[in-house]
Amino acid sequence: MIARLSDRPSGNAAPIDPATLLGEWINYDTSSRNIAGLTIARRSEDILLSIDDWGEATVLPFSLTTAGGEAAAFRAAYDFGFARIAILAYLNKRLLVVDAYTTFHDDSGRSSYFARDHFWAR
Amino acid sequence: MRFVRAEDQLSSDAAPGGRVDPSPMLGTWFATDKQSAGVVKMELSERDGAFVVRAFGAGTPDPIDWGEVPAIAYAKSVDSGEGMAVSAVFDFGFEESLLAAYSKGGILVLDTFNTFKDGSGRSAYFSREFFHR
Repeated sequence: MIARLSDRPSGNAAPIDPATLLGEWINYDTSSRNIAGLTIARRSEDILLSIDDWGEATVLPFSLTTAGGEAAAFRAAYDFGFARIAILAYLNKRLLVVDAYTTFHDDSGRSSYFARDHFWAR
Repeated sequence: MRFVRAEDQLSSDAAPGGRVDPSPMLGTWFATDKQSAGVVKMELSERDGAFVVRAFGAGTPDPIDWGEVPAIAYAKSVDSGEGMAVSAVFDFGFEESLLAAYSKGGILVLDTFNTFKDGSGRSAYFSREFFHR
């Protein structure tokens, strides 16, 4: 079954190789009020995202097609109770583009908001 | 007020944004790539006060109607009420697609994160697509 043509299988899919994502990533914008840096590491079968003071979250890697292979993007999620943040990121060359989609679940009246930052691999 | 980064904080003279108004994003958006194999059209609308997204995937001979799902609108900051980004999840049973998009300069930039649940062996995949009204 497909929901669009790009869903069609393309032969035997290879496992997604997360190697392109692994390492320490630093925000180009040193004055960013968002995420300063992050680390993606393999721990046994899991790929974990670590952000200072946020802790770890499971990384779900994505390739560019249904054929798998090299990872080109990932998603992860943090739930802090008062706020939930979806981390949606993709690689553009060796630039990691990280979008944070934040919703608040307290009575602070803060708006859900979108923030983007760009990271380089140390 | 709890926060996990500086950007979560309201500036001292700013009022909370509260509900994010999706109005700036409402309308029908068409893929700029007429040969797209991904999402070809999105309808962003409000129904009974709820923000919803209807999407259409590329298909032959006609686009595949994904139906309508609830969506979340996002502003550019905690003290803005003006929508400039959206996320929504389509669960087809055999596949889940997370759609996340932001508007910039009259263009809607869509990222999709697609995961298969049907044991078909297809790899989870990502796409990036551009839309105009």
